[in-house]
Amino acid sequence: MSRQYSLRKCGIRFDPPALFVTYTDKSAGKTRCRTMPIRNFTKTSTVTRFVEDFRKNPRHKKYLEDVPKSQLEKLLRLLQDNLRGMSLDQSLNEIRKEYSIDPNEDLNKVDEETLRKKKTAMEDSFEKNRKKPGDPDFEYEVERDFQPVETCEWDSGDSGSDADF
Amino acid sequence: MADLRASVPEYDKEDGEYKVKVICLGDSAVGKSKLVERFLMDGYQPQQLSTYALTLFRYQTEVGGKDVCVDFWDTAGQERFNNMHPSYYYQAHCCILVFDVTRKVTYKNLPNWFKELRQYRPEIPCLVCANKIDDVDYKVTQKSFNFAKKHQLPFYFVSASDGTNVVKMFREAIQSAVGYKENTTDFTDLVMRELENLDDLSLSNDVDSGVDTAGNSAETHTDEADEEQAEGATGTT
Repeated sequence: MSRQYSLRKCGIRFDPPALFVTYTDKSAGKTRCRTMPIRNFTKTSTVTRFVEDFRKNPRHKKYLEDVPKSQLEKLLRLLQDNLRGMSLDQSLNEIRKEYSIDPNEDLNKVDEETLRKKKTAMEDSFEKNRKKPGDPDFEYEVERDFQPVETCEWDSGDSGSDADF
Repeated sequence: MADLRASVPEYDKEDGEYKVKVICLGDSAVGKSKLVERFLMDGYQPQQLSTYALTLFRYQTEVGGKDVCVDFWDTAGQERFNNMHPSYYYQAHCCILVFDVTRKVTYKNLPNWFKELRQYRPEIPCLVCANKIDDVDYKVTQKSFNFAKKHQLPFYFVSASDGTNVVKMFREAIQSAVGYKENTTDFTDLVMRELENLDDLSLSNDVDSGVDTAGNSAETHTDEADEEQAEGATGTT
């Protein structure tokens, strides 16, 4: 949302379907709300395609650029689950599960769509701490020395499978 | 099949350009591509070898006054089939082994990756890096990870997101790759190098029958390798 606007929240309305963004217009010092109708979205629509369309839409783009992609995906999924007749609680539960990271889940073994959702969730934290060219504190070479003081708990216990390697 | 040979780079041929191959290994979503992209920024030319399910990033640099062309090989999701095709390891000079500090399972899988690497490349330098340290407020950097120590591998705490130690790690990987290429005593490497050079000889000169035979055998060997790679790549076998 760059300089002029700062994002406050983003939500969804089921009927008629629309995305909402609340933001502060810094120059005017006012909080505003923008409604973006969701058209032609059905039970079988591809969520990711709609997300991409919104993020590319020249009229909506600048309001949505600070909204994490995963949030837009989740909001549209809520809408879709609603169209399918699922209860809000059930829908929220499923979505939360799909987009959360289990540190013990082997992602080499999941199907492509599951992996895609996990990667989308990871992308949010990647972007959150990201320093890229153009940022005031960006440096190409960043060196830091770390001096570990304790042993990682991951090394304890089940070392049996690790006999040779 | 004919163009496969043209499209897949050779690394042991002495044809003027000094090339090394650095491969990235590790579980899905540990950030292998993100690390390579962070190192190369905009100065890279990604090359998608779609028949091979891998991505190649080419990088020109200088090591000890010598121009070096580095190819970083990225898995393009191939790791999801649990093991990599042999062509991924073929002629590699260095390996960067990556895990994600936010996901224990990716650390626990390191021994499997390392074991597979060593089956194909028993002696190449291998670096271990712990990625996404920014994601856990750097707290994890107070901990030591035994895997690297146990195998005496250089270890790096890195973040592809904020850039911590990424450039340092890649520079050292490139140096190790060049160092390996210069001093290799690995039997397969030496044989391959001899065969490549004989191959060149038989193509460019009229040679007596003795060398010619050796040239032919080199030819046969390469064809076999191509066939094997092509099958794996299309997934028909």
